[in-house]
Amino acid sequence: MKKTIFNTIKIVIFLLILGGCIFASTVVLRRKDSDYKYADFLSESKKGHIDVLFIGSSHVINAINPVVLYDDYGYTSYNMGGHGSLLQATYWELRESLEYMTPEWVVVDTYMIEKNVKYLDDREEYEDDDINTSVEQLHLNMDVWPYNDLKVKAIDDLISDEKTKNEFLYDFIVYHNRWQNLTANDFKTLTGTADRNQLFGGEMRYKVEIDPPMHPEATEGDYLTEDTVGCEYLRKIIELCQDKGIGVVVTYYPFAAETGDKAAAVKAGEIAAEYDVPFLNMLELDVVDLYSDLNDHGHLNVTGATKVTDYMGEWLSNTGDLIDHRGDPEYSHWEDNAEKFQAELDDMVLDEDNLYVKLNLLKLDGYSFILYVNEDSGVYHDVAMMHIIDDVAETGKVSTDNSAYIVIKDGASGKVYDAKGGEILESVPTSMGNLYYRFVEKYYRILSPVDDEDTNYLYDDGHAAEDIQLIIFDSETGEILSHDYYRSYGGNYER
Amino acid sequence: MSSFISLYFFIFLPVVVLFNFVIPRKFRYIWLFVTSICFYGSIDLGSTIVLAAVILLTYGAALLMGKSDEGKRKLVLTGSLVLTIGTLVVFKYLGFIVGTFKGLTGGDASDSAIKLLAVTGISFYMLKAIGYLIDVYREDIQAERNVVKYALFVSFFPQILSGPIERAGKMLPQFTYPLTVDYDRLRDGLFQMLWGYFLKMVIADRLSIYVAGVYSNPAGAVGFTAFMATIFYTFEIYCDFAGYSHIAIGMARILGIDVMKNFESPYLSGSIAEFWRRWHISLSTWFRDYLYIPLGGNRKGTVRKYLNVLIVFAVSGLWHGAAWTFVFWGFLHGVYQVIGYLLRPVRDFLVDTFKVERRAFSHRLIKIVVTFLLVNYAWVFFRASSMAQAFAVIKNSLVFTPWQIMDQSLYSYGLTRLDFLVAILGIMLVILVDIANYYGIIVREKIMSQGIWVRYLIGLVGVLIILILGIWGPGYDAGSFIYQQF
Repeated sequence: MKKTIFNTIKIVIFLLILGGCIFASTVVLRRKDSDYKYADFLSESKKGHIDVLFIGSSHVINAINPVVLYDDYGYTSYNMGGHGSLLQATYWELRESLEYMTPEWVVVDTYMIEKNVKYLDDREEYEDDDINTSVEQLHLNMDVWPYNDLKVKAIDDLISDEKTKNEFLYDFIVYHNRWQNLTANDFKTLTGTADRNQLFGGEMRYKVEIDPPMHPEATEGDYLTEDTVGCEYLRKIIELCQDKGIGVVVTYYPFAAETGDKAAAVKAGEIAAEYDVPFLNMLELDVVDLYSDLNDHGHLNVTGATKVTDYMGEWLSNTGDLIDHRGDPEYSHWEDNAEKFQAELDDMVLDEDNLYVKLNLLKLDGYSFILYVNEDSGVYHDVAMMHIIDDVAETGKVSTDNSAYIVIKDGASGKVYDAKGGEILESVPTSMGNLYYRFVEKYYRILSPVDDEDTNYLYDDGHAAEDIQLIIFDSETGEILSHDYYRSYGGNYER
Repeated sequence: MSSFISLYFFIFLPVVVLFNFVIPRKFRYIWLFVTSICFYGSIDLGSTIVLAAVILLTYGAALLMGKSDEGKRKLVLTGSLVLTIGTLVVFKYLGFIVGTFKGLTGGDASDSAIKLLAVTGISFYMLKAIGYLIDVYREDIQAERNVVKYALFVSFFPQILSGPIERAGKMLPQFTYPLTVDYDRLRDGLFQMLWGYFLKMVIADRLSIYVAGVYSNPAGAVGFTAFMATIFYTFEIYCDFAGYSHIAIGMARILGIDVMKNFESPYLSGSIAEFWRRWHISLSTWFRDYLYIPLGGNRKGTVRKYLNVLIVFAVSGLWHGAAWTFVFWGFLHGVYQVIGYLLRPVRDFLVDTFKVERRAFSHRLIKIVVTFLLVNYAWVFFRASSMAQAFAVIKNSLVFTPWQIMDQSLYSYGLTRLDFLVAILGIMLVILVDIANYYGIIVREKIMSQGIWVRYLIGLVGVLIILILGIWGPGYDAGSFIYQQF
């Protein structure tokens, strides 16, 4: 008997150690995308630090930057958007997140509301590749949530195939194969030091879509006449929020929308009206510039995201429901992340090679630069480039003729000055000092401090062939951070 | 519960073991029978009817033989063998026979409309039942009166899908007096199962990815890549089947039942005859006892002996699969052995002339390598879907392209560099364990004699390696063992 008890204890100890090892393996082997995205949600929601949840698809991920919202308005928010998330996935995402906290506001984006398929793995509706992508993307939203009744219900509602369901409920089935792809970050999860999304769920994109497709407006015949699965889940989201006393606002973020999307947005507005909740259709509101604020035809880039985020910040501030947390030591993590993002942007502005992207980033508040475009430059044949430049200057001068052009943006004051052809800028106040500009001839122009005529920032024998000069300077100290020369030849803008 | 590799099975087995431990010894056979039928029924309910019919038929026939005189016994045996073998032919070979007939008469051999129920494990349990009938007829054993015990002998779940093909004389007494499962026996059985899962999931299923990549387009793999596929398949089928056998034997052990060994370092054999004494031992001995010896064995002259060998191996090939590639594979092994007998004087002459020391390691090594290569190339016919495909693979494998070892060609068939590394290390481990086994060292017993922390460590690492490096989960059907199709 004694021996049996002793042996039983040995078996139990072995099983406990084995269980621990298997658990550690599941943690290390699990794909970290979901942990990465939601690590701060879990820790900040525990502290009651999240005022607003932004939910929806990848349009949300790229449209809302919580650190900008914090930096500009002091509101704390989390970007819960999921790549490829249909509204049913968004609904369950919200259900899961409400297990951890109750926000003041939920902002739900309604892209893909017209989709009328219940299950993400519906083989009659979707191609195999599409199903694989949808299922793969759902892991981003689902892996982080622990196994419980709610998760089982969510997966039952989103996935029809039993085997695929198990991949979500017991994800080791899928991730044990990751052993070949492990990195240091996977092991750091064990010590709680793994990388985490520093934009509170947001992801910024930096490219510029210079030729987005434009589509006709929706007419009566395009409108959705019946409810879709997307509509059903939008209603569920609104009802869930209203039941819990959470403010809800329905949005449709901007992109190069097709006619069907524009019609779908109308439907979203109708449902919002039914429930008497606000609807912000940014396809119609003049929030972004589609010719410079898109990363691709469907997603906003960082400048577009900043505009949409600030628009939402303004809207939220008008509700008067939220508190400005800036300066509150309890929210230092938000402050830190805002600073890190700014530092990342600063690096990107200096390191970026693509002139479209670089100038687009320089549009953001706080950056100071001088752009000089020489007479007969290829820029004057590049509508997209002229559009980006004029987005800063807003005078239209750049595109009037082929003569030399200069634009000076002073980040400290937020003021912009430009001159075309023979126009002279007598004294432009910047953090570099007051600047004097005059075009003399194609290979000679003057940009110098008013009180130092011997210095000419724009004249350089070694770069006579380059027709574009870009000087970036510190908005506070005036120190020149970079001075780059570009050739517009062939539209490549080689640095 | 599709096989030994499924979540349901890992719930099922502990429940069976736990209750088996608690239930009084004399009733355990009933519990094991119930669980065996549940296991089998969960895989294939339709096949359970065939299984039940075979059990009742052979049970009744054996009882009848027990009560009959010599003449009537022979009649009952003949009748029951015709029925059992007839059942096997109908369910396994009818399509093949009709297809072959159509091919011979100018029809489309592939268009044989006979699509009968594929009965899971029929080849294995039928041999057990036939062996039992012959044993009763020969009066080596008495007919079992307890139908449940006999039914358990035929349907015992660790063995029903792929053997080992045990004898009634050894199994039935164990069902009457099962051994008590103590801590040591439990530990031993679990370690053997662990080794089996390692062979199957980490090595065999990994190798199968590469092999399938090459065999799916033999024309695309010319040279070393094809040669590697032949070697990999040789180890794949060994690790697959030996893995299954280890799991089955270990599982039976933790249920208090001892089952015979099925493999004994087969790739260290110095001749084809020795290979068959080491490979699938339960089948080889079955064919020896119930076919080769009744045919006359080596008692009726040299020519008849050679003929018997060829017949036995051709039948063995046919038993493995209803296709000419399997028949050819078996026949080839028979031919190997006949040629071996015929060349014995020549080999002896060469050994004497060159004064070769027969017991020298070098001589033994050459014999092992030659035997391995003969077996290796015979496996090509076993794996190929047609004779033409087999010849194409063999032809391609003989093209001299050693640079393929270095130029990444090997990684174009579904295995990454790291997968390859795991596969090669796994094969090396198998060879080392087999060498130890060859010299009488049972590695498992050595581990068991170590301190607790070594045992724990090996157990933990073993489970983790299988879980992490094992080929299982979405995108890959790891549920079926190669030998389950026979």
